[in-house]
Amino acid sequence: MSGPAAGTIAELAPARRRVAAGWLHGSAALRWGTLITIAVLWEVAARWSGNNGLVAPPTAILRALVTQILPDGQIRAALIVAVVEITAAYAIAVAGGFLIGVAVGWTRLGRNSLFPIVLFFYAIPQVAFLPLFVLGFGIGPAAKIAFGCSHGIFPVIVNTIAGMRNINPQYVSAARCMGISRAGIVRHVIFPHITGSFFAGLRLSMTMTMLGVILAELYVSTAGIGYFTRQFADTFDPAPLFALISVLTAIAIAMNAMVRLAERHWLRWKG
Amino acid sequence: MAAISVRAVSHSFGLPGKQNRIAALKNVSFDVAPGEFVTILGPSGCGKSTLLNMVGGLLSPSEGAVQVDGTPVLQPLPERIAYVFQESTLFPWYTVEENFAILLRCRDVPRSEWRTRTLAALTSVGMQDFAGHYPKQLSVGMRQRINLARGIASDTDILLMDEPFAALDEQSRMVLGEDLSALLGRTGKTILFVTHSLAEAVFLSDRILVLSARPGRVKATVAVNEPHPRPPDFMLTSDFSELRNQCYALLRDEIRLAMAEAVA
Amino acid sequence: MTETSRLWPCAIQGLIAAGGLLLWFVVTQSGEVSPLFLPAPDAVVNAWVALVRSDEFWPAVGVTLTTIAAAYILAAVAGLLTGWLITRSPLLTRAFEPLVSGIFAIPITLFFPLFILLFGIGQESKLAYGAVYGFFPVALNTIAGFAHVDRRLVDAARCMGLSRFGLFRHVLLPAASPVIFTGLRVGFFICFASVLGGEAIASAAGIGHNIALSAELFEPARMYAWIVCVVAAALVLTALVSTIERRFRDS
Ligand SMILES: Nc1ncnc2c1ncn2[C@@H]1O[C@H](COP(=O)(O)OP(=O)(O)OP(=O)(O)O)[C@@H](O)[C@H]1O
Ligand SMILES: [Mg+2]
Repeated sequence: MSGPAAGTIAELAPARRRVAAGWLHGSAALRWGTLITIAVLWEVAARWSGNNGLVAPPTAILRALVTQILPDGQIRAALIVAVVEITAAYAIAVAGGFLIGVAVGWTRLGRNSLFPIVLFFYAIPQVAFLPLFVLGFGIGPAAKIAFGCSHGIFPVIVNTIAGMRNINPQYVSAARCMGISRAGIVRHVIFPHITGSFFAGLRLSMTMTMLGVILAELYVSTAGIGYFTRQFADTFDPAPLFALISVLTAIAIAMNAMVRLAERHWLRWKG
Repeated sequence: MAAISVRAVSHSFGLPGKQNRIAALKNVSFDVAPGEFVTILGPSGCGKSTLLNMVGGLLSPSEGAVQVDGTPVLQPLPERIAYVFQESTLFPWYTVEENFAILLRCRDVPRSEWRTRTLAALTSVGMQDFAGHYPKQLSVGMRQRINLARGIASDTDILLMDEPFAALDEQSRMVLGEDLSALLGRTGKTILFVTHSLAEAVFLSDRILVLSARPGRVKATVAVNEPHPRPPDFMLTSDFSELRNQCYALLRDEIRLAMAEAVA
Repeated sequence: MTETSRLWPCAIQGLIAAGGLLLWFVVTQSGEVSPLFLPAPDAVVNAWVALVRSDEFWPAVGVTLTTIAAAYILAAVAGLLTGWLITRSPLLTRAFEPLVSGIFAIPITLFFPLFILLFGIGQESKLAYGAVYGFFPVALNTIAGFAHVDRRLVDAARCMGLSRFGLFRHVLLPAASPVIFTGLRVGFFICFASVLGGEAIASAAGIGHNIALSAELFEPARMYAWIVCVVAAALVLTALVSTIERRFRDS
């Protein structure tokens, strides 16, 4: 800030505020503007270089999407299988993670003795075990579901326990004294308490589940999505590869959005 | 020339035309002469802190202007103004002594004097034994005392104090109030002070500005004609209780108004 | 905490570890599980000894560790710089924080084939992939750290007349550093896992490649020997990182 002469302050200050007000509205515009600018520059640069680089321009990706990826029944089937795998792995991870989390977090002894073991497994890069999953479950969806689940389950367990750790034990005692069943305590005392932490876990779990499934899909290059990405990469065919990855990205964004919607819906129902 | 001059200041928070726009201050004007102690009294939420933030250069008023020694305030003026915030603003990652060190470095005090100056300031609020403590290890009241000591250690001509005694017990408030009055008699600092305590306001101030409920306007000015330093006995005089009652009468209606608005 | 309440968890953990080992023995002895999937513990130990003595062990470890280190340095520097620059303006923060967090919520593994396409099958592709994946948590936490510094402390510092650098050094950095450290830690382990994963999926060298290769060649004991190395490395690194973090927090 510089110091203009006395007397101008009355005009200066409101002007600065108005600019600030416009800025706040402009953040989304700036975000999208930047993204669109990047896309346009990308397109221009790709055309400039004669369209023969490894980075396909956005229009070529769109064309490949419409002419190569979407009409291909096999690719469509592989994408649907991937969505099914993610959904199944996520469902198992959430249900299993919640049950394990409640079981481990139920007592202080459980938390003190078993939680470190959970954290131990969480800290290991599970990708080291990826070949083992394929050895054990084959190259079909089972291995991918299992691997996705093994990634997605930990955030749920950890956040369920973290949520339970902060419960006021008096509430549980009070509920017990009132004769509420164990299931009732979970439903009316524990669950409302841990929802915040739990939903943070659910969001992270979705990302991790997708990570696990995609890792396994890419690892198995003889079938599914990994087969097609390997094909496009080996033949140096960037446009369909970019297009296929764009579809997967859109799926990932949609799955994340669904978790958020569910969270909002659940919290409104509760509230 | 006035040390602080507030001219037709109005301020609103939020964007114009938005539902959450709040008018905090409306057309406030007053001057503070050099060496004067002025207290702002007003119902909670009437814009007292907002006003101090403007004088401190942290906020530009929506309308009007603030001047210090005749120049407009556009940014904090660390050489001229020290600001003691409503809540402690000691840096939690530094010990009490390190917190003072940062201030003294900014004030260009030679390093060799840091320790003595810090201890002197801490002693004035009875906290000399806690130089090595982190703010988290202290109680709220202790933190506030140190916060106050840090403000005074800035050694500027103008002090802005936003409820510096709020978290203290009544006895400590009175003792620190007396000390502040003594300091005033000694150094002739200009102080703009905010408090909710009527006794504190009357005991310390040369002039009391009573603000209305939000949006704050200057509803009345009460002068206290008693030289500094003021002895504790001043609180026993009939002048004192009369002034105190006068302020209370002025405030009571505003507080009822503010509460009625909150209910509606 | 009393002595007994600390003793019980340790006892239970020891029991579980011992039980797991025992189960491993029994299951492999009984022949219920194919040795292709789970070889006997002694076979794994022998394979491990042979592996560490072999000529290919240290080169593979070296390749992977160099890639991880390079990827992490890139990720950390880029993430810190980006986070710092974005938080210089509230507008930029509001515009790009959702973008960074949105991209990080997508499994970036999706883009791995692109890295192979652009950088080839060598370590460059794993380096770039690890660096990009590790960039996001660092950038995200740097943004969070700097964007949520207590406004009043910044105001107080300005009123005291702290210089721009002083504000950074004495207020912004100490306030943001716990969150930034978390980002640096998460970023490191993401780099670690990404490089290993990239090597397992498509590579010609490194630990991940060797795990995948042993699986392909049906040498399970050797694969487990490599996995043991990864688990050990993860544990050592976790301990190391938390020590470093504690050291920093204390100073
Ligand atoms: N940053 C802000 N954004 C929006 N509104 C604000 C902001 N700061 C203050 N306000 C509003 O302005 C009004 C005045 O706030 P201010 O903090 O000045 O009150 P105050 O008189 O100091 O109250 P108290 O005695 O409780 O400290 C309040 O109604 C508050 O809601
Ligand atoms: Mg206030």
